[in-house]
Amino acid sequence: MSKMFFDLQDPALAAEFRASPEAVMARYPIDARVKKEILANNVPFVAARTNPYLLRYFFFTAGMKDDEFMRQLHDG
Amino acid sequence: MAELVGAFAASHGPLLVRAWDQIPAAQRTRLSAAYAELGRRIDAARPDVLVVVAPDHWANFFLDNMPAVCIGVGAENDGPPEAWMQAYPHKTLPGHPEFASHLVEQALKHGFEPSVSHRLKLDHGFCLPLWKMGLKKLPRIVPIVVNSIEPPFPTVQRCLDWGSQIRKAVQTFKKSLRVAVLGTGGLSHSIGEKTMGAIDEKLDQETIEHFSKSRASLIRFLEKKLPKAGNGTEEVRNWLLAHGAAGGRGFELVDYLSVPTVYVGCGYAAWRVTPA
Repeated sequence: MSKMFFDLQDPALAAEFRASPEAVMARYPIDARVKKEILANNVPFVAARTNPYLLRYFFFTAGMKDDEFMRQLHDG
Repeated sequence: MAELVGAFAASHGPLLVRAWDQIPAAQRTRLSAAYAELGRRIDAARPDVLVVVAPDHWANFFLDNMPAVCIGVGAENDGPPEAWMQAYPHKTLPGHPEFASHLVEQALKHGFEPSVSHRLKLDHGFCLPLWKMGLKKLPRIVPIVVNSIEPPFPTVQRCLDWGSQIRKAVQTFKKSLRVAVLGTGGLSHSIGEKTMGAIDEKLDQETIEHFSKSRASLIRFLEKKLPKAGNGTEEVRNWLLAHGAAGGRGFELVDYLSVPTVYVGCGYAAWRVTPA
């Protein structure tokens, strides 16, 4: 998962992810439960499993607003 | 002989670009003035080489290869890869292989084992302060990546010692060369953590004060405080390299302001450099 977040800093891959996240995630050995929570935008769940900066970059790339990202972090 | 002509530090943060227009006007004015003042001082120091110390925000290194310290020895490095930094005017930044290699060789002689790179991507940690400073002429940049992004991190003491190594490298470089140091990052901030958005102004003021105290006191203070602070605060390591390079004397605080819009306690400093 962290490697995918790292790779998603590439704008072309990020665009592909936004269009078809399942297709991009299928290229990485990510557990089905983790895939489900990524698709559900479950920030606290993902936060427990990656570097905080990668977490931030991923949800920024995925289009989540900072207010929502921080709310989930604070509440989670 | 080479000469150390200045040591400086400045905060960075993506929202200083992405959310610049959302920062309250009075704070924008102060931030602009602080960056400009550092730019004016660097211009006045006329460095041939600017050693810039910053973290790598996942631009070059991943978990499969995460050096504690990496020195850029290439003839040039790439500008920032971030899409929101694409207006930065330098797509490549000239390096100084001879001085950078000398820095590596001297470090190895004295018990330090840096990683080296012949071409780095210099992300916003390196380029945002250079951009905001509005330097009249970009010196040759020798980048030093110090890991403060993914633990384990080099110790506070080691970072100070790395600063001393920069100083020794200047002292032992046999050619005429004017060298300045810029550490970027900090002060307190938290990214991608439960505390994201929190700025600890008290910690920042105490940190600033401790730079004018003894080396032992500074080490004790930061080793105690950093593990409990927001993760971005770890970037103060880059200030420690500037501090060590400058001879460990206190700095002049150009400005400090807590900027909630960008989630960062923004600090700007110029050291009282003793001759190297």
